[in-house]
Amino acid sequence: MAMKKKRYALVLDSRKCINCKACAVACKAENQVPVGNTRNWINEARQGEYPKLRIDFEPEQCHHCEHPSCARVCPTGATWMRKDGIVLVNYDDCIGCRYCMVACPYDARYFHEESGTVHKCTLCSHRVDKGDLPACVETCPSKVRVFGDLEDPTSRVHELLATRRYRVKEPQTGNGPQLYYLL
Amino acid sequence: MHEFNWGLLIVVYLFLGGLSAGLFFAAGLANYLEVDGQPAYPRVAAMGALLAPWPVAIGSALLILDLGNWYRFYKLFTHFRWESPMSIGSYLLMLFTGITFVYAYAWLPEAWRQQLFQKVPATWKQAHRLNLDLAPYRKVIAMVGFPFSIGVGIYTGVLLGAVSARPFWNTNLVAQMFLFSALSSGAAALLLAMVLDKRSSIQTHETKFLITLDIVFIVLELFIILPYLIHGQLSVLAVKQALWLILGGPYTVVFWVFFMGLGLLVPLGIEVSELAPSLLKGKAFHGDRRLALVASSLVLLGGFLLRYIFVYAGQVSSFHKMGMLH
Repeated sequence: MAMKKKRYALVLDSRKCINCKACAVACKAENQVPVGNTRNWINEARQGEYPKLRIDFEPEQCHHCEHPSCARVCPTGATWMRKDGIVLVNYDDCIGCRYCMVACPYDARYFHEESGTVHKCTLCSHRVDKGDLPACVETCPSKVRVFGDLEDPTSRVHELLATRRYRVKEPQTGNGPQLYYLL
Repeated sequence: MHEFNWGLLIVVYLFLGGLSAGLFFAAGLANYLEVDGQPAYPRVAAMGALLAPWPVAIGSALLILDLGNWYRFYKLFTHFRWESPMSIGSYLLMLFTGITFVYAYAWLPEAWRQQLFQKVPATWKQAHRLNLDLAPYRKVIAMVGFPFSIGVGIYTGVLLGAVSARPFWNTNLVAQMFLFSALSSGAAALLLAMVLDKRSSIQTHETKFLITLDIVFIVLELFIILPYLIHGQLSVLAVKQALWLILGGPYTVVFWVFFMGLGLLVPLGIEVSELAPSLLKGKAFHGDRRLALVASSLVLLGGFLLRYIFVYAGQVSSFHKMGMLH
């Protein structure tokens, strides 16, 4: 049987986010992210004044873009995209020029001082390949995050994007981001 | 606050790379100009040829040192990625540096060359076969080098201009701006070196040539910077917000006072006031040594500041940090 094409994505129902930062902690533990760096984070937006006010929490990380500008500018091809859409850094080929960090519209990358290479969210590809969920998805207590294969019509992400309104961040950059925020 | 991924080393490199491109271009041009069948500016051509390799060599070394893993720089040359300006630029830079060294060798005075080879042990027969007089090939080497020097001058701008995530850079004008700035810096550096050369003082026709060249490049640069500002203001919000960085934001003073004023308009004014009487009224060109010294130093300062402003302000600009306009 021919392997079906895959396209992994994250759907985020950010209205459920309570800013507990368990996703960030889980990611740090899972991927040994150094203190001071993060692969995922939560944006806060406040508006209005008491008693008329609201606060929004919006988790963000690498958008695993369809046309990743980081991969385009990488001079050695260290940043690359898997067939299933996960954008990764091959640490052996990374020379640490940080062009990708400059080219990322989401500032989703950080410089790993110890190895002199650039790191970022891998969508926990090591877990995904075993059939597990990314650490941030598994740990989220309020079920903000839904991970899945957009090409699979039976997947939850497919259903959510078919039935709910959503937006992506900064589509004007042409990167084709794959973090979908439900409205 | 935004963290800067690229810092001063990159600024210095962009400046030095452009400087070499400009030096090579001016020196090569001087090599081609003749009056009555005699080379018109042989000393300018020699000085430029001998100076051109060093800035780019130092700049490339800085670039390598700036890498997270400097010893992996060879990986730039085990891959070729045509979509990455940095990949194309690495090859361009390497070839250009090679050409500038060959060109400098072709201009090495005979006595210096013999001195150099005296230091090589006589048993190294193969090395001594390189003791060639390349002087007859100067024009050929210069012609081969011209596209590479232009390429390096443009590339430093394309490196930034190709980044679609940074609205401050992402315009087709940055490449030309950097090119003309590089060519102007080259002419100015040559003028500065000739003025400072104690062994033989600069002659007025040489000053006139270099000042004329510099005026042309500065004017061309102005022709790029003004549309950059005007078109940016007429562009989409993200670009407008990015331009705010130099139009009221943190880089306003350094852009307008130090770059536009001191680094561009003041030296242009000095150079035009030097050249205009001889150009318009047929008076003799004086070529004041001190004015040339001031003007050329200021042009170099301007060239450096242009890169400084672009590298830093560009990294602050982005699509998702809205609210820069308060």
